[in-house]
Amino acid sequence: MTIHNLYIFDRSGILLYYAEWNRLKQSGITREEEAKLMFGMLWSIKSFVCKISPLDTKKGFLCYKTNKYALHYFETPTGLKFILNTDVNAQNVRELLYQIYRQVFVEYVIKNPECNLKEPIKSELFKSQLDAFVKQSPIFGLKSY
Amino acid sequence: MSRQGTRLDQKKVNSELFTLTYGALVSQLMKDYENVDEVNKQLERMGYNIGIRLIEDFLARTGTGRCYDFRDTAEKIQSAFRLYLGISPQIMNWSSSGDEFSLQFDSNPLTEFVELPDHCLNLKYCNVLTGVLKGALEMVQMDIASCFVQDHLKGDPCTELRVKFIKRLEDAIPAGED
Amino acid sequence: MPAVPIADDCLFEFIHAELVNYVASSSKGDHDVSTLEYLGFCCGYRIIERLTKDWPRFKDELDTLKFMCTDFWSSIFKKQIDNLRTNHAGVYVLLDNNFRLISKMSSGNQYLEVAPRYVTFTCGLLRGALANLGIHCVVTSEIKTLPACAFHLECWLHVIEFPFPFGMTRVSRLGT
Repeated sequence: MTIHNLYIFDRSGILLYYAEWNRLKQSGITREEEAKLMFGMLWSIKSFVCKISPLDTKKGFLCYKTNKYALHYFETPTGLKFILNTDVNAQNVRELLYQIYRQVFVEYVIKNPECNLKEPIKSELFKSQLDAFVKQSPIFGLKSY
Repeated sequence: MSRQGTRLDQKKVNSELFTLTYGALVSQLMKDYENVDEVNKQLERMGYNIGIRLIEDFLARTGTGRCYDFRDTAEKIQSAFRLYLGISPQIMNWSSSGDEFSLQFDSNPLTEFVELPDHCLNLKYCNVLTGVLKGALEMVQMDIASCFVQDHLKGDPCTELRVKFIKRLEDAIPAGED
Repeated sequence: MPAVPIADDCLFEFIHAELVNYVASSSKGDHDVSTLEYLGFCCGYRIIERLTKDWPRFKDELDTLKFMCTDFWSSIFKKQIDNLRTNHAGVYVLLDNNFRLISKMSSGNQYLEVAPRYVTFTCGLLRGALANLGIHCVVTSEIKTLPACAFHLECWLHVIEFPFPFGMTRVSRLGT
């Protein structure tokens, strides 16, 4: 199992944080451009998923899968968006995203008074805690290409 | 190293320190601003700053989802008071249109050691709470206004905070989409 | 008596952060340090009174300092002071390797230049608490690497019968 990369957006679409672990191919565009497209795509998927839903969905869009990777999406009621790309077999990724929110983001961004919530995260401590947290997850596992 | 038999209650000490720190903050504001209205405004502003962070802590700790309606919101606010201040204000006096209610407090850790001197009668000692609510709810897409209509510290029989729903805030559409 | 409601731990951290933010943004130069220190002093002076109400009297200065490093510190900052050193002549160094109010900020040098703001209130808190226990001192802080913080105490005089905060009192040099 593998974790490829992580995006954190705020409600307005600012890329608060990006990290990658086992990303084997880059998109060939700038990170800024990539983030903009990612946010736009998620916004479109989300609203379309709701629109065509035959039921009254509360949770909405959760993930999509290709034959190579899966994108997992977790949004808080405050509009923070956590997106994690993993291999296709990864289990319980939403739970991991919730834990990242609760145990890393809230602890080291929200409770760091020097972190401005409207700006990309600069805290080194957040960076290292997140990295350690992701690496200890069973989903991170051994690299399998 | 510590002595036997006597242990300080960490939660209680922290709570008291919070109360004292808030009191020190209010008295510093009273020194810095001649105008009491300005003090009330500053307290609300600080509350707002706390609210926008506290809401994330609340959501992360409780796993609370989105509100269904304003009554649901009222109950979630009540549960937040229980979690953070150890009190359960009563929800009452709903307006007929369902967009306004009151929270009534019997006790409140913020005011535990407080007596207002006579020249502070216009001071809304707990005004930080109106800011916290404003900030926290704004983060979950709700524009509200709140104000104290009764205050125990001023001789009223209880403390009553009136909360009014103004509007739902919509997500901005990302550039290039419509 | 009805049970006193208990506020959650994190509220102190949030209100403290706002206090720092307010004082730092509304003032010029040295003013910020002294205001934060003074507010800490007031809180320390009052909180220690409530804490030590039912406490046996302290034997001497060192005994008092030990109390501050253990029970006092852990009741407020969730852990004890890691190291207490003294020259036995009124100078003490209290080292907290993971000081609560800066522990979420950094482990290293990031935010080093703003970190002192977040310990100034606590310097005052210590000074106020000790003043109420009859030990008058100057408290300064030193941060080399976050989240560790050293508090330097220099006690000058041992004051007997002390009104709030400093009054005309009989003073005597503390025996060492």
